[in-house]
Amino acid sequence: MRRMFVATAIVMIGVAVGVSAAVKKYGKDLTLKETTKISDIYAKTESFNGKRVKVRGAIVEVCEMKGCWIALASDQEFQTIRFKVDDGVIVFPMDAKGLTATVEGVVTVTEETEAQQIEHGQMMAKEMGKPFDPKTVKGPKTVVMIKGEAAEVQ
Amino acid sequence: MNWRRLNNVLHRDIGYLAVGLTVVYGVSGVAVNHVRDWNPSYRVQKTMMTIEPIRAIDRAEIIREAREKLGVTQEPRNAFRPDPETLQLFFRDGNYSIDLPTGQVIIEHARPRPVLFEMNQMHLNTPKRLWTVVADVYAVGLIVLAITGMFVLKGKTGITGRGAWLTGAGVLLPVVYWVFHLYME
Repeated sequence: MRRMFVATAIVMIGVAVGVSAAVKKYGKDLTLKETTKISDIYAKTESFNGKRVKVRGAIVEVCEMKGCWIALASDQEFQTIRFKVDDGVIVFPMDAKGLTATVEGVVTVTEETEAQQIEHGQMMAKEMGKPFDPKTVKGPKTVVMIKGEAAEVQ
Repeated sequence: MNWRRLNNVLHRDIGYLAVGLTVVYGVSGVAVNHVRDWNPSYRVQKTMMTIEPIRAIDRAEIIREAREKLGVTQEPRNAFRPDPETLQLFFRDGNYSIDLPTGQVIIEHARPRPVLFEMNQMHLNTPKRLWTVVADVYAVGLIVLAITGMFVLKGKTGITGRGAWLTGAGVLLPVVYWVFHLYME
């Protein structure tokens, strides 16, 4: 029985060592070779709509509840793009903020009405623990994001 | 050894082996079920402070002045300006969001919740690789536990008596819920 316990303990330590190795790859493998500038996507939103892209940028926000999206800083100031994954497919850690991510997915461009923006803003405010004032919403807005399933964080 | 004796030995020993992982998956399961209400893996603390307003205009100068006024000597991992009046500085152990004209600073610390963080990582199979094998073996072990559990006892309390009713109720639970979910919710 003692030998069995020792053998089990050795297997467990082996598993722990395997688990503790730093994993910085999330979801599927990146497949695209070319990296697109985030500012290019915003410059030509319609031509990028529905296209698969790989982008790179600093992680400036992480979904505080589920880790199901990150916001990446663009190559241009005052500009970010959200990379969204299906809940549970990837869980981005909160301490990834400030690290640089390379992500791959499909660009989606949608027009949000005022009501949709308010609903979305309230949901985001709850997720991020930040205040949201519906009065800041003025007219319809074009929302650009990348929906994907592959990321590398370094 | 007859089949029931073998069944009971399997049920007993797999049960012992499964205790640790069952606690991990059970505790983490409850934690992540309520992910809409809290972050089960991290505790995020936000504190406020005020520094002198930042006067610089050039990006590099803004960062230098902000670090100086915050008293931070460490190099940031990254810096970002979400809008002309805000500077975000990201460090390994915390992040600063500075309102440049007023000097209002929000300091954010995200700390992994002790034990629960590790449990959630395992439950959500974040490590992948070897842990996938462990989780698969554990899942098969649970199936074996469930099947062997039905045949531990014989007689009135076994699978031909009370056990049949309880097993039936346990099988019906997900079926009834799913029908309800599809047609009533």
